[in-house]
Amino acid sequence: MLPSLAVERRLFREAAIIVAATLLVGTAANLIPGRRLPWWGQGFVAPTQGTDFNLIDPIAAEMLRSTLPGVRVLDTRGEAEMAAGHIPGAESFPYQDAGTLLTAEAIASLGTADAVIIVGASEESDIEQLLAQELRLRGLAPPHIVLGGMPAWRASGLPVEGAQP
Amino acid sequence: MSFLRNRWLHRLLGLALGALFVYAAWDKVRDPRPLIAIIWGYKLVPPGPTNLIALYMPWLELIIGACLATGFLRRGAALWATALLTGFTGALLINAIRGINVACGCFSTSSTDVQNAWFLALRDLPMLLVAVILLAFPPKQKTV
Repeated sequence: MLPSLAVERRLFREAAIIVAATLLVGTAANLIPGRRLPWWGQGFVAPTQGTDFNLIDPIAAEMLRSTLPGVRVLDTRGEAEMAAGHIPGAESFPYQDAGTLLTAEAIASLGTADAVIIVGASEESDIEQLLAQELRLRGLAPPHIVLGGMPAWRASGLPVEGAQP
Repeated sequence: MSFLRNRWLHRLLGLALGALFVYAAWDKVRDPRPLIAIIWGYKLVPPGPTNLIALYMPWLELIIGACLATGFLRRGAALWATALLTGFTGALLINAIRGINVACGCFSTSSTDVQNAWFLALRDLPMLLVAVILLAFPPKQKTV
């Protein structure tokens, strides 16, 4: 009986070490500027099409971009992906940095744009939808999200800036 | 059942389940925000603790995965893996019974990646079985 008790005590000690490590690393990670989240949730309302964003196909997005003078294009991908090719005039706007990037000046500047287009890395536009919701919550008009992201943009043969030869 | 206590079987199962946990945790650790939407989609947790779960669970998965794969604190990690997988499977089954298909959040942080909840719960069972083996059948100690 005694060895078994010792084994179980060791098991729970191991489990406690894992919890302690998780609490330590998880807390430290959430203190890093740029990826900080509120500790306690205020409820989550999923972004909805029409209210928070509009989906737009790449051709329509390019028409918008090339015909209106004040269109802003926000690219949610990382720096390396941006460097490998992006929509002409696109600005790097990673969602995890939204908290620091969305200053009052940035919001005011985006508010004067004729349209805001958001493009991301993949067909799933979750990150782009969350960014659009952030913009909406700050009083901007619903941005346009490029349907299919950069892969669809490239597949449509539309102009790409900064692409490697 | 003595083969379940084989040291090499434990190493193999630990490596496999650990790799799955690390893979599952990776995107969520890098950016936990989409996970909030996924947890919310389960309709089981009130708004308050949703963020806490999104902040800590990916790290717990990552540490469990690393421990299982390396063998360091393996049984403790197996205990947590069993607890987590039981919780995940239970949450999926509740939604399956409710008739709600959810975005699992298991290996993807896409809240639009909605799949059949029965299928997702069934998919968890082999992983749960492995975790239970690692927990309940510790390898035989070497006799001198």
